[in-house]
Amino acid sequence: MTGPRDLNAQIESLVNRLRRRQVVGSWCVSIETAMLLRQVVSATRWNQVETLIKVVKEDVGRRLVMAQPRELAVGNIVCRVLRLIREVYNSEDATFDDNSAEDNDKDSNTDDDEKDEEIKSKSSQKIRTFSFYGGSGTGTNTQSSMINLLGDGSPMGAKRASVDDYRKPPNLKPLIISELQEMINELENTYVNIIDQAMEHIHSNEIIMTVGKSRTVEMFLKTAAKKRKFSVLVAETFPTYLGHEMALSLSEAGIDTTVISDSAIFAVMSRVNKVIMGTHAVLANGGLISVSGAQMVATAAKHHSKPVVVCTGLYKLSPLYPYDEDSFNDLVAPDPVFSFNEGDLIDKVTLLNPYYDYVSPELVSLFITNTGGHPPSYLYRLINENYDPDDTDI
Amino acid sequence: MPPPSKTSGKNLEAESILQAVVLADSFNERFRPITLDTPRCLLPLCNTPLIEYTLELLAVAGVQAVYLFCREHSETIKNYIKKSKWSRSYSPIKIITIVTPEARSVGDALRELDAKQLIDSDFILISGDVVSNIQLEKVLDAHRARKSVDSNAIMTMVVKEASPFHRTRSLGESPIFVLDTKTNECVHCESVELYPRKRRMTMDMEVFKKHADVQIRNDLIDCQIDICSVEVPALFTENFDYQDIRNDFVHGILTSDLLGKTIYCHLVKDVYAARVRNLHTYNAISKDVLSRWTYPIVPDSNLQEGDSYEFMRGHIYKEKDVSLSRSCSLGEKVLIGAGTEIAENVKITNSVIGRRVTIGPNVEIDGAYIWDDVKIKSNCSIFRSILANNVVLEENVIVKRGCLLSYDVVIGPNVTLEPYTKLTKHKKTSESDNEGEESNENKAYDSTLIGEHGQGYIWSDKVSDTDDDEFDTKNIQIAGLAHDISNISLTDSDSPPSVIYESSSDELSDSGESTTEEESLKEFFKEVSQTLERAFLDGHAVEIASLELNTLRMASNTTFHDLRVGVIPTILGQIDIENLLTSAEEILEQWGPLIGKLIHSRQDQIDTLYILQDHCAIKQHHAKLFAPTLKKLYLLDVLDEDAILEWNSSELADNDSSKSSIRKKVAPFVKWLEEAEVEDSDSDD
Repeated sequence: MTGPRDLNAQIESLVNRLRRRQVVGSWCVSIETAMLLRQVVSATRWNQVETLIKVVKEDVGRRLVMAQPRELAVGNIVCRVLRLIREVYNSEDATFDDNSAEDNDKDSNTDDDEKDEEIKSKSSQKIRTFSFYGGSGTGTNTQSSMINLLGDGSPMGAKRASVDDYRKPPNLKPLIISELQEMINELENTYVNIIDQAMEHIHSNEIIMTVGKSRTVEMFLKTAAKKRKFSVLVAETFPTYLGHEMALSLSEAGIDTTVISDSAIFAVMSRVNKVIMGTHAVLANGGLISVSGAQMVATAAKHHSKPVVVCTGLYKLSPLYPYDEDSFNDLVAPDPVFSFNEGDLIDKVTLLNPYYDYVSPELVSLFITNTGGHPPSYLYRLINENYDPDDTDI
Repeated sequence: MPPPSKTSGKNLEAESILQAVVLADSFNERFRPITLDTPRCLLPLCNTPLIEYTLELLAVAGVQAVYLFCREHSETIKNYIKKSKWSRSYSPIKIITIVTPEARSVGDALRELDAKQLIDSDFILISGDVVSNIQLEKVLDAHRARKSVDSNAIMTMVVKEASPFHRTRSLGESPIFVLDTKTNECVHCESVELYPRKRRMTMDMEVFKKHADVQIRNDLIDCQIDICSVEVPALFTENFDYQDIRNDFVHGILTSDLLGKTIYCHLVKDVYAARVRNLHTYNAISKDVLSRWTYPIVPDSNLQEGDSYEFMRGHIYKEKDVSLSRSCSLGEKVLIGAGTEIAENVKITNSVIGRRVTIGPNVEIDGAYIWDDVKIKSNCSIFRSILANNVVLEENVIVKRGCLLSYDVVIGPNVTLEPYTKLTKHKKTSESDNEGEESNENKAYDSTLIGEHGQGYIWSDKVSDTDDDEFDTKNIQIAGLAHDISNISLTDSDSPPSVIYESSSDELSDSGESTTEEESLKEFFKEVSQTLERAFLDGHAVEIASLELNTLRMASNTTFHDLRVGVIPTILGQIDIENLLTSAEEILEQWGPLIGKLIHSRQDQIDTLYILQDHCAIKQHHAKLFAPTLKKLYLLDVLDEDAILEWNSSELADNDSSKSSIRKKVAPFVKWLEEAEVEDSDSDD
């Protein structure tokens, strides 16, 4: 186990890397945050769950979120971990309340197994209800890992001499950590669950438009391409030209790919069957924070009544609401838009190079997440299931 | 000097720990009087001390040990570092401060470094006021790659591409680099000062032998980030007279035949790097930071702990706990620190406002840098100036551009500060004629200048006492705040700063705006005729008149053609029309040679003929003059027959009746000339 000093250094390092944009991309950020929080849970000393929540939320979570407020995934993961801790605590709490009356009479050693069983079943039930991150496939995993966890309970058993001891952290700590591990595993497998749905959405001979470079969309299209033939139009996405990279990767996979300039998006939209794009984050109202240019694509699709499908893992779903459309945007250096060498002009001209676009929810037709397809209007439910209302404001 | 093979071997081993040397002292006094109280590297740029930007850059590059050289205010710097996040136990950087009170230059600091034997591998030499988002790892890798090819490579200088008059490029302080096009090896480095203007630079011919393709660059920003090999401090020790790293060291290494060391430049294009050298670049870099050229080093990424800047539309950065009144208006590029209160009807544009500043109603602020805890009372205006911490402006104070108010100065009420005023609370001891010589402090303040409640003394830069420092003063003025580069280049266009620029300036003036040129030409003609009339009246000798005209020509930078255009009509104007032939004879006898003085070649003669022809064609009453004048000038040997014949044989541009009629008038004369020539050639045979 690492000491608090190492932990501090780790937190500081992640904070710095987030701030300096050395870790970018929602997925990398999520994994890093989750790993760090697992470290926090295991390395900090806490007696009560309340303390743990406070540490995760106020000490670590807030620093991470403040370090890079534009990476909404950080906040999402922190919220998610908090929710997880609360759930574990609540389920445990309920179990103890039920058993507390009998516990006093009985010999602690004899009913150890019974109680373990009880805890197992109760908590795993409870957990299964909210652990939809992994979709259907991970249910058995949860079960087995929890048996392992509670099975080596010999030191735990010794401590269960009295009712009060049940509430002591050693019972919860391994449970929470294993849950966190589950979450990290699920995060790592997010793509699998999304790309499994590819065949339902992409049909033969369709023309699909995409914008920017998204790993999810890339894999989604490649999976579909294994069985079906279709063509993809990629908008080049000035000024980052991520579209070029995307197109290269798709064409290497044998997909019929065409790169178009951004200004041609509207013109070719009439020929497109559907727009499939990735996103940086999904906001509470179903709006997107996506690569700049996405708004144009979505609006053009709306005009031509083409469906806009967004592929995203649920870790990108943020409980935050966009009060104005600039709120989560990031303006990067204007270098690619205009050369710094034009000394006189840069003094007189205001140069903007927004990295993201806000796409309002009415432009989006469907979200394909790791738990299946959802319309934007359904997102509020996902948020309620995923995050605790107490934690939305970190 | 250690043999190169040994050192390169050493470097390969010791790549594990990356070291950097930060020069926290600038070794000059550009920021006086502010730097009397605070070291330059702790001056706030966009409310963050300059050194934070440098250390952040090094931290991103993965530097593990930083040697911080301080001279002045070393205690302040030490305390700052001690309190900052960099000295926490888990900080990735270890900062070692080295105080060298006796060091007078970069050279001294590096000699100290060599004496202490702290460096054991390639290191980054950077000054403590660099703002950059460059990825130094790449530069380091490039340096190592170069070293493996060229074992004599000892240094890589990072330079950013810009344009010659770029705002971020410190004018008069950025050297001209001569680079090998292929390898970016720096083959010559010439420092340029704005005054006195340099018109030529000397390069060793060897350079052209060794390098087939060389480019001379006057558009590079010298970022003052150097990757140095271990030999560099040793070389400074060997050559104990090296002071400046560019003027002495780089120049010395490149011109020395004995050392055989090479220096390279690393050109960067799409990343930002610049150094705060003077107030002018302070202003420019602040603007660059606010316009996000330095991304991700921008205010809203909150470099310091506890910062809480947020970006808002229109390049406005606002920290938490700022209270803005309903009617105040914030323009573009404004940064406001926490705890600041802004009252009604305040207008702020292009400015940085520090923390805990109070701004009263009806204040106008444009292009100003207002640091922490400043109090500005109602109806003040501040333009393109710097107000340091704790400055107080009473009611109705106007601060004009380029002013510098150091710590704790109080101004007002009802005062207007003239442009480029520098004020400080420190009394200058050296100047006895200063108004501050009286011992009673309160009386010592000049209340007419800084107001009734004012506190502070005028600060004047020292250079004024020496005679030959007019240039320096000018250089310093340009380095100051709010000096428009455009103004400078316009007013001084006759003496461009460098050879390279000279050619372009000529082009500029050729293709420059025609209206101004025409006006200046008109002015010139007027002066020419005045000069001549004076000569006619006083009966000057031809030599004197021609001398005067020549001086005039040189003063207004015109050609002989222009001069002739001015002179010929004026002389013809003297001829009395009534008494045509005799008068023409008289006048031309006396002044014809003057026209001769302005003619140097056959081409000039033909040109003169055309001028004469055009003049007589336009002015009808002079038409009669043409034939006699031509004849007289021929007789005076001003024009020879070949020129006249050539002129006559040339076609008329258009079928201009007046011109052709003039030609007809001289037809007999020309015919006579032709015959004479035939006779000549006959007699020759």
